[in-house]
Amino acid sequence: MIGQLLRSDFLKIRRKGFWLLTVIGPLGVVFMQTVNYGVRKDYLLKQSDDNWSYYLSNVNMFTPLALVLGIVILTSLMASVENETNAWKQLIALPVSKMTVYLSKFTVLAALLLVASLLLMLFTLGYGYYLDLGTDIPYIDVVKFSFYPYIAALPVLAIHLWIALVSKNQGVPVTTGVIGVILTYMSYNLPDWLIWKWPALMNGWVEPLTIVWLGIGFGVLLYLAGMLDFVRRDVT
Amino acid sequence: MGYVIQTNHLVKQFGQEKAVDNISLAIPEGEVYGFLGPNGAGKTTTIRMLLGLMTSTSGSIHIFNQDLNKERIDILKHVGSLVENPSYYPHLTAEENLEVFRKVYGVPKSRIREVLGVVRLSDVAGKKVKAFSLGMKQRLGIAIALLHQPKLLILDEPTNGLDPSGIIEIRHLIKRLPDEFGMTVLISSHLLSEIDQIATSVGIISEGKMIFQDSIENLREHAQQNVVLRVSDSIAASQALLVRGVDAKNQDGRVYLHENSDDHVSQAIRMLVQDGYAVYRAEEEKRSLEDIFLAMTKGHAS
Repeated sequence: MIGQLLRSDFLKIRRKGFWLLTVIGPLGVVFMQTVNYGVRKDYLLKQSDDNWSYYLSNVNMFTPLALVLGIVILTSLMASVENETNAWKQLIALPVSKMTVYLSKFTVLAALLLVASLLLMLFTLGYGYYLDLGTDIPYIDVVKFSFYPYIAALPVLAIHLWIALVSKNQGVPVTTGVIGVILTYMSYNLPDWLIWKWPALMNGWVEPLTIVWLGIGFGVLLYLAGMLDFVRRDVT
Repeated sequence: MGYVIQTNHLVKQFGQEKAVDNISLAIPEGEVYGFLGPNGAGKTTTIRMLLGLMTSTSGSIHIFNQDLNKERIDILKHVGSLVENPSYYPHLTAEENLEVFRKVYGVPKSRIREVLGVVRLSDVAGKKVKAFSLGMKQRLGIAIALLHQPKLLILDEPTNGLDPSGIIEIRHLIKRLPDEFGMTVLISSHLLSEIDQIATSVGIISEGKMIFQDSIENLREHAQQNVVLRVSDSIAASQALLVRGVDAKNQDGRVYLHENSDDHVSQAIRMLVQDGYAVYRAEEEKRSLEDIFLAMTKGHAS
């Protein structure tokens, strides 16, 4: 049942800019470094003995912001697909459980963001090769820097998806989305428990890997809470 | 013959207000059931509960003799619906819109061509729906509802906002369904004339309460008919008729005959002519269904 719904949902998001956004996000993150290194490559290479690590940390400066921005835009796009002609009443009257409907929406977005993370990895490696940062390529770190923020951002995805899907007034997800992006932008100065800080993986109290586990744990919790609330609501 | 839909003392409460109050629907198999009521009477709320879009505050719903609360998914496999404005994905083509739903129902791809043919949209199958007229969108909505060959079709105000030719077209389509596809149809409307032309049984709802539920013939019987005569002197004429034992009444300068069989009317006219009254007009005054409907809903409101 979930497979059929997923195929149906992937068909619905055609021509809506979902895939474009999935490519533009990671492209933008690496593009920031093409500007950075394009302008002052010699200076940047002098900053550290380990050029690859330094490059990765530079790339990672923009990853959380792009990720949260992407989540905010994708979740409200997702809601708009069904809200536009109130297709919810047709969708919920299908012989599928409401839980599956919610799971399908979440899975589609999680999959798109996973693709974006994969692209980020490829673009990062690609530009890294081009910059000729040395033969000692830290593949493990490249993978970590590409996928850890994604997993750490799952709670953010869960909460923004819930807000977007249950809000009657689209002003609500827009407002919370802007707040979420601002929180991510200034995450350095924020308390560690705020989930919008997690994709940055900088944290006074735990290792990045622990944030990843926290991301999965709270992601599941917030997902379940959102789904149960969605199921409970009447479709009007 | 069994009942396809049966609701038992169905109630839906929003805060203090009961939008649906104690509704017991009984819709027999193979009927086109007209669900009538003024705007805001609770038709759409009832229909949303029938589709499991809303939960009822109390009461039960049985569709195909299965409890909707327990076997919602099983029931919905055999129910097609079009609730209020059609739902569609404007950025997709008609064919893709149907494909979105076909994937979930798991019916063969050939059904898409078939239903597009039924609603006569085959020529525009590859066009984006946002370019469609309202009538075409409505027909697409019906195509979506028919896609999985449902046993029960629920249509909420399917002719809303359509032009007369669109209304006629939809009406013809709905009329065909029970015979050609063995479907039971529930169709709601606030227009009695609309229901009068397609329904075989009728339920009338007002302010959340059911005020009438029976066959359309029985509703028509409520339409008591008078024969009205316009004569030269209505007061004297009606008295002359009364004297001879004809149930006549003078009103607004006309003579009303309650007995309206051919024999009675011709007899009354003969009497008047013999008595020297001039008879200008003899016509049937049909109390329209609208009148009955208004009388029923008003009577309920007071």
